Amino acid sequence: MSDTGPIRPIRSLTIMLTLPAALVTTWWFISAGSQNFYFPPLQTILQTFLKVWLSPEALQNVIPSINRFFVGYLAAALLGLTVGIPIGASRHVRNLLEPMLEFFRAIPPPVLIPMLILFTGVGDEMKTLVIVFGCIWPVLLNTVAGVRALDEVLAEVVLSYRLSGFARLWYFVLPGASPQIFTGLRQSLSIGIILMVVSEMFAASNGIGFALVQYQRTFAIPEMWAGVIFLGIIGIMLSLIFRAFEAWILGWYHGLRRSQREN
Amino acid sequence: MPAKPAHGRVHLGARSLAWLEGFGGLVGLALLLEMAPRAGLVSPHYLPPFSAMIVALFEEMKSAVFWIALGATMRAWAIGFIISVATGTVIGILIGSSNILRMLTRSTIEFLRPIPSVALIPLAVLLFGSQIESTLILVVYASFWQVLIQVLYGVQDVDPVARETALSYGLGPWAQIRYVTWPTTLPYLMTGVRLAAAVSLILAVTSEVAIGSQGLGKEISDTQAGGAVAIMYAYVIVAGIIGVILNLLARALERWVLAWHPSMRLHIVEAGE
Amino acid sequence: MSFITRINMSILAAVISATLLGTMIDSVRAADKISVAVIPIADCAPIYLGKAKSFFLNHGLDVDLSTAGGGAMIIPGVLSGQVQMGFSNVTSLLIAQDKGLRFIGLAPGAASSGVRGQDFSAIIAPDDSPISSAKDFENKTIAVNTLNNIGDISIRAGVRAAGGDPAKVKFIEVPFPDVPPAISDHRLEAAWVVEPFLTIALSRGAKVVNWNLIEVAPKMMIAVYFTSEKYAKENPDIVKRFKAALIESLVYADAHPDEIRAIIPTFTRISPEIAAKITLPKWPAELNRQSTQVIADLALKDGMINKKANISALLP
Repeated sequence: MSDTGPIRPIRSLTIMLTLPAALVTTWWFISAGSQNFYFPPLQTILQTFLKVWLSPEALQNVIPSINRFFVGYLAAALLGLTVGIPIGASRHVRNLLEPMLEFFRAIPPPVLIPMLILFTGVGDEMKTLVIVFGCIWPVLLNTVAGVRALDEVLAEVVLSYRLSGFARLWYFVLPGASPQIFTGLRQSLSIGIILMVVSEMFAASNGIGFALVQYQRTFAIPEMWAGVIFLGIIGIMLSLIFRAFEAWILGWYHGLRRSQREN
Repeated sequence: MPAKPAHGRVHLGARSLAWLEGFGGLVGLALLLEMAPRAGLVSPHYLPPFSAMIVALFEEMKSAVFWIALGATMRAWAIGFIISVATGTVIGILIGSSNILRMLTRSTIEFLRPIPSVALIPLAVLLFGSQIESTLILVVYASFWQVLIQVLYGVQDVDPVARETALSYGLGPWAQIRYVTWPTTLPYLMTGVRLAAAVSLILAVTSEVAIGSQGLGKEISDTQAGGAVAIMYAYVIVAGIIGVILNLLARALERWVLAWHPSMRLHIVEAGE
Repeated sequence: MSFITRINMSILAAVISATLLGTMIDSVRAADKISVAVIPIADCAPIYLGKAKSFFLNHGLDVDLSTAGGGAMIIPGVLSGQVQMGFSNVTSLLIAQDKGLRFIGLAPGAASSGVRGQDFSAIIAPDDSPISSAKDFENKTIAVNTLNNIGDISIRAGVRAAGGDPAKVKFIEVPFPDVPPAISDHRLEAAWVVEPFLTIALSRGAKVVNWNLIEVAPKMMIAVYFTSEKYAKENPDIVKRFKAALIESLVYADAHPDEIRAIIPTFTRISPEIAAKITLPKWPAELNRQSTQVIADLALKDGMINKKANISALLP
């Protein structure tokens, strides 16, 4: 690439937008005169989107959903880390618990919804707990894997410097295991979004998933499509926020890998 | 390998010890699940004793409902899994092999990928009700991305020297794919297959719980609604066991396919769970 | 032709004729296969009983029954042709009709007995609750199994009848099965339930505060069996036969409650012990157009539909 100056960013932006623009335009024109009940014109969908999902009333659904998601996700991340580090550090504890953990992790999280309804009814607690139970496994198991794979030579160096307890955790264990931990956190993110939506699709009174299902039940098709788009945007935004956070924390690691690759 | 006992004490090798400890852990869990409801720590209405769950499981296995539900879940899983792996591989290799395509599609992929497949549930219900097609829409949409992303990584990882050598030998596009791209992509594809297998099962059961299509998820939902709590847990256990089996099978497949690729083992660990 | 050839040809002719005759007879006797989507609740017991008693086969119909979560799931299935007939609550059909989808009701699905104290549907509250009538619903949150459906319509109707202001009642969505434990744990102030959850809840410390269906209309018809207008136009004979067999099943069901109670556990997860105790819905043979008109008017008033419903098109 020999472009210099302002031409290169414009060129990348154009490339980035070409296909999406083409797809959206095609969708627009194909659906323009649509009589099909289930596939209304894109124009109608976008108008409904602005009217319904970007209105103040929409916040009544969006805020509780995002709230539950963050509470559940952060709780799962914290629990996964606190439990995962000691498990990863001890070979015997790992052996003891691993089959059990593999089993629990294999249970599809939405299956827990009927179970949790038994214990906690159908309120906010149930939805948040579903998110916690679903999100904890990738974090937990990846933390265990990350701690387990810590460089043994480095571990001995740390030991010989008599670094222990909190210092050891902060300067050795966490940084060493963090790439793996972030893999787990990333997987938990998508699971969390899925569970946030699914837990609101029955036995709910607010939420994005709840709104989607109400629109589906009352055959409010443009509103439903607009909701799908909205959910997609939420997913992307959360993904971008996560990536920014990861880049900030793991900046040192990405730099290291890049230099390894280039040499 | 167990060592010879010395002075009447038995020495176990590290691996056997690990197995024993794991088994012990499971037994401990079963005991906990058995005792807690009996001791009144949790209400038996919500968590019946473990033995009741097992009894319910065996009773349920005698009825056709169980096998129909299991068959329905596995069928939805299999069809969705195969479709997503096939399309993900083909599209991944196509896009990955061309710089232009890769640049053009990157933003679209990054945009569509985070959309939760469950957002499609209302649409699927409207189009297909609770038939298997609804489940397949969700399963394929979610698993496709897992495979695609991995295959894209794989194709990108092709050694440029190898690629240029192939070109200078005059190998056509098909031969290039077969001799250069494919071997490099294979380990990544196997990771994608493993992830897709897990995601397909999760979405299949999710759709059954949320939409009520036939399968294990529907039985779990129905038994909870009907108050047949022990049977509900029996189905939950089955779902977990299926998940574990699929994971083990996927890993075994991965090891078998990549037996000749020892240098790739490091990559597999790095790609994460 | 030689003698052998003649014998062979005769045998061949005989075999062909027999086969043709057999297929003709078979095609005359072969039943039409149709699929019907229903909900695994006691209301749908008559069609299962009717199938078991061969009422449908006698009318030349081979009925395949499948279950779905609710009317809102079944309606799209019937529309798309995945099933030919379905069972749905009347309100969902009115909402669908309001959006331009076209259906025809064939026979009643289930109806209220019209007698307070003997109905299969009620609003309940915890035993020790201060709520004792529809007037007390103001400023309370009441659970219904589906929002924007007969639950809120009937509760608002009850509040109006008691002289209260329906706008002051709040609703949340809780599936029927989750109501009994929520009521006995005081997690809900009041809730709408139908059988078998009514019986289950009453046995666990709840009381009835309102018989909601009776507040709407006499002997209110809550659900119907229906098909799409398109299917009815293209297959009038099958629809006519299905309707006849269905009505036969409903009449039989209404007259033989013990057989109904015996068949309920076979297609739901309701145990035989509970099935023996619940109040059964009524299964009339005639579609109730008046109660449907009342529901439509209330739905229009409550904003669930945007224009006046066409009852005669829905229930010809």
